[in-house]
Order: sequence, then structure tokens, then C-alpha cells
Amino acid sequence: MSLFTTRALTVRFGGLTAVDQVDLRVEEGETLGLIGPNGSGKTTFFNAVTGLVPAAGEVWFRGGPLQGLEPHVICRRGIARTFQASRLCLNQSVFDNVLIGMHTRVRSGVWDALVRRRRVLAEVRHALAEAAHLLSLFNAELVERGFEPVGALPQIDRRRVEICRALAAHPRLLLLDEPSAGMNPEETLELMKDLQIVRGEMPGLSVIIIEHDMFVIEGVSHRVVAFNYGRKIAEGTFSEVARNEEVREAYLGRAADAGEAAPAASLGG
Amino acid sequence: MNAIGSVLAVWAVELVLFALVVAALLAERPLALGTTIGAIAALAVLARTSSRLWDWVTAAFRAHRAAALAGAAVLALALPFFLRASPYWTFVATLALVYVTIGQGLNLQIGTTGVINLAGAAFAGLGGYTVGLLTVRLGVTPWLAFLTGPLVAVIVGALLFIPILKVRGHYLALVTIAFGFIFNILMNNLEFTGGPQGIKNIPTLRLFGYAFTTAPELFGMKLPYHANFYFAALAMAALVTWLTWRLYNSWTGLTLNTVRDDEIAAKCSGVSVARYKLLAFSIGNFSIGLGGAFYAVMVGFVSPPDFDFGYSLVMVSIIILGGLDSIPGIVLGASLLIPLPERFRFLHEYRLLLYGAAIVLMLIFRPRGLWPAAVRRYGLREPAASFAPEGGRR
Repeated sequence: MSLFTTRALTVRFGGLTAVDQVDLRVEEGETLGLIGPNGSGKTTFFNAVTGLVPAAGEVWFRGGPLQGLEPHVICRRGIARTFQASRLCLNQSVFDNVLIGMHTRVRSGVWDALVRRRRVLAEVRHALAEAAHLLSLFNAELVERGFEPVGALPQIDRRRVEICRALAAHPRLLLLDEPSAGMNPEETLELMKDLQIVRGEMPGLSVIIIEHDMFVIEGVSHRVVAFNYGRKIAEGTFSEVARNEEVREAYLGRAADAGEAAPAASLGG
Repeated sequence: MNAIGSVLAVWAVELVLFALVVAALLAERPLALGTTIGAIAALAVLARTSSRLWDWVTAAFRAHRAAALAGAAVLALALPFFLRASPYWTFVATLALVYVTIGQGLNLQIGTTGVINLAGAAFAGLGGYTVGLLTVRLGVTPWLAFLTGPLVAVIVGALLFIPILKVRGHYLALVTIAFGFIFNILMNNLEFTGGPQGIKNIPTLRLFGYAFTTAPELFGMKLPYHANFYFAALAMAALVTWLTWRLYNSWTGLTLNTVRDDEIAAKCSGVSVARYKLLAFSIGNFSIGLGGAFYAVMVGFVSPPDFDFGYSLVMVSIIILGGLDSIPGIVLGASLLIPLPERFRFLHEYRLLLYGAAIVLMLIFRPRGLWPAAVRRYGLREPAASFAPEGGRR
């Protein structure tokens, strides 16, 4: 049985069908690339899976249904995500932005905060060490700036902090929404290496990554799924999907020239 | 400068500020008052212009936090002795401490969690009226009534809040405004709450037979009986501030801040936003109700105008002046905004104008307050790098 499956997942906003009868599966340890032109429903798909928008159809994760559950419950089941426009708390410290990811794993509560401070501090120190470890996978400097507001960091470091926040939840499934958006080629290359490090650190982790940058998709995905107008139009390895006529038409607007040399280059950008 | 030197410097700064404040409060003759105000103004200018001096002083305070707190505690305990000639100023100082207690609760709601409560006075009134009703109408002992007051504020707050948990920030503010007026109208019109006269002759607190209305004599000096309430309020404000600090520098504080800053990110990190908003609202209302209950025992009577919207405004202005989500800011804000209109009597009529102007000016020029909240460090002294693992990439 797959780790994660959707069956006929559909999201409608009034008359607009943003996600249309999508069947999708992700296996354990697999990285699935999710591509498609803007507005094809990829982020809405993430929002439906994480319970942020109401959806029809079925979502199965680790053998249990997810449809109808609240977002915080879905997170507890083991799904973590990043957001297209980073949702970090810019005034809070780098460490704090990662630590909130551990919310579902924290044992001490209000009572402990008031009367059992030693227990809270022990847990906090442990968590800070773990956060530092996650951050250092990407950039050791992030640890040194751990108590600085995250708003002071450059874009790529903020993305890394957001990914660390998601990883801090010890998820089984990680949803990455356009992590390379707004990055130049050097930063994109670094990001891809970051993702490969994550894969090395957590081999059992499954990932769905939405990306427009085909270089990244090709570099990290085991399989690729393509969306258009909310429907899944192709599924397979990267080269299979890249050569798919409907996919090319979705991106380029008309049937691509048969003489195109590198599918990655033609779909890139 | 060595450690002893900078500790002494910290205490010296605290002593100078203390002396100036006491002098400003008590100076009657225009020359004395003028000199004191002039000295305070000169210090303020010095602090703003000489950034080296400012940095050095703040660094010294940060390095010797325990000593600074101990010094401040000693001075706070000593204040009533310097004010013993004036029961009025002892009362005002006590009132400021009551507002510190209320302010920490309200700040937890508005500043820390982003739950906008514009009915602070009504929740204080719930605490105060509970004390009045239980003691005068039902003969309950004052201490029990005093501890029940905040609980009533919490329960009523929860009943009000649960139906509107899913409502967005602005609507919540409107609901609390409405609740404030409903409370005022109910207290004014219900018979058993005493109507416009309120409830009077609330019995005072007694500690092992010692009535708080007895003028105490300590270290050979006679203090007005208000000093009893001052010391009690000091203990209450210190306890509430300390516990609020602990709450803020814990997982709960982190979660509440995230609920304020980005609900969606919080939800997707596993936070039950509704539950935490209710938690902040309830804990905050406990402190607010506690302040109101204390006010009832201190003054001995409660009436509807004591808890009207104007006082909710005062509470909010303290938070904005001191600093949203800033625990020391609340202490500073209350210490400034409560005595000031009392000192300058000509301001008294324009009190509400002063508070409103404070809010507007602060939000325009210093939205983070006079003592802005710092990044959360959980009270840890270790630098960030000390948490790094051995080795690591790059």
C-alpha cells in the first residue's frame, strides 16, 4: 500500500474547478516532482491535502483518511509543508521559527511553563540543539545567527529555515511548494544540493515538490506528475513526462518542434 | 570596568532614577519641581544623544540582570517610606501596580497572541463586582472572594469567546467593545449589582487578624494604611509579571507568538489555533480579573463608572506605550501613564485625550513601544553558536 494516495480529489471555488479528480500516489522514500503551468492547481492541491481548503474525494495517508480533518491534526499525522510565499514569522528569531515546527513533539505545557521551569528549559535546550543541527545541514552561519530575527536573512536562507521548520516536525511526507522561487541559478544549485542532503539524512522521507525549475525537478525527483487546469495530465519519469505532448502543449501553448534537443531546456525557465 | 564596578553603576543609575521620580512626585514648590523636571529632561537628552553611554548602561544592566532586579526590588519596597507623608501618592503607586497586573494579562492577549480585547475594564469589573457581591451580599470571606473574582472573569470570558473563536481579528475587537458596554449597562441597571450606586462597604483584607486598613509602623516610621495595599499589590504585580515572563519564555509563548504572526503557518505546524487563542484569552482574563478584584478590596466599593470604556482605553494605551508583547514595557507603561495625569492636575480633565494621543503618537512614531519586546531567548545566557553540533556543512 502506498504511503500517500489521493482518489478523485476535487476542489471547487464556486464555478471554478481548481483541482479536478486527481489520483495520485507517493511511496515511502520517494520524491515526486509536481509540475504544471501557473494556475494549474498545484498549490491548491497542497492546500487540499493539508486541510486548508475543503475538498471532495479521498486522501489516504499511512492507511488512514485525511479528508475533513483540521490542518493541525493532519500535521500530527505526519505531513509538513513549506509555502510558495514563505510563511515565516519575520520578527521572531531563526531558532524560534524552526522550534515551532516541533510543536507536535513537545511534552511540556502551560503548567510546566509556570511551575516546572527546569523541565521546560531542558526540552528547549534539546530542541535548540536539534534546530541547530538541521540548520547546519544547509548553512552553519544560520546557527550563529540563531537568535537574530529571521527577517534579517537573505531569501535563500529564509527558504532553508522554512524547510528546517517542516523537517523539525519529523514528518513522513514533506510538501515543498516552489522552494526555488525567486532564486538565481547559483542559489538554485545550492538549494538542490540542500534537498539532496535532506534525502541523505532522512532516506525514509517522502517528498512532493512543486517546481517550475526543471533542473531542480530532474535533479531530485524519482517520478514526476504534471498538472494542467487542475487535472493530472502525465505521470512517469522526468524524461517520459518531459516528452509528453500534452505537457509540452500546456507549457508552450502548441505542439513542440520534434527537433528539440533537450526537453529540460525547452521546459525550463 | 570590572564586574563589581558595573554592578555598582547599575545600582547607582537605579538610585538616581528613583530619587528623581520621588522628587518629581512630592516636590511642591515650583523651584524644586522645576529643577527635578529639568534634571529628568537633561538625563533623557543625554540618553538619546550619547549612544556610547546608553549602550554601556544597557550592556551593564543586561550583564547583571539579577543584581538590577534585586536593586529595583529594594527600591520598590522602599518607595512607601519615602511617600509616607502622602497617602494619596501611596494610593497612586498602588494603582499603578494594579495596572501592571492587569496590563500583563491584557498584553498576553493583545501583544503576545494578537487577540484584541478592548473590554479590559469590563473583565476587571467582573473581578471587582464578584468580590463586592460575594462579600457584601453573601458574606463570603474577603480572601475567598478575592480569589474567586478572577475565576469569574475567566469563565465569563470563555463563554463570550467560544462562539466567536473562528472570527477574524477586527470582528473580535468589535465584539469585545460591545461586551464592555453590555457589562456597563447591566451593572448600571440590575438591582442586585446595586445599580448606579454600585456596591459599597466591601470588607478589607485581613492577614492573621491584621486588618489592611490599619496604619502600619515599620522601622520606627508610621506609614499610611494605603501602604499595606501597596506591599500586597507589589507582591501581586511581581508574581503575575514573573509568571507571565515564564509563560512567554516557554513553548507556550512561542506558540502564542506564532498564532499572532501567521495562523496558517501555525496550523500547518500542528498548532490548534482556536485552543491557543482561548488559552491566552483565559489566562489574560485571570490577571485582569485579579487586578479588578484587588481594586475592589483596596477602595472598598465598586460602581459602573469605575469600569467603563475609558479605563479599557487606559489599559490599551499602557500596552502600546510600554511595548506590545513586552513584559518590562508594561511595567514602564503603567509607571508612566498612571501617575502622570495625577501629578499634573491640569492634565486630569484631558486624561482621555492624553491616553488617546499617546496611542496615536506611539503607533505612528514608535509602534514597538518605549521598551520593545526582544527576541525570545528563553532566559538562556548561552550564545546561539553554542548549540551548534560538532562539524557541520560549510
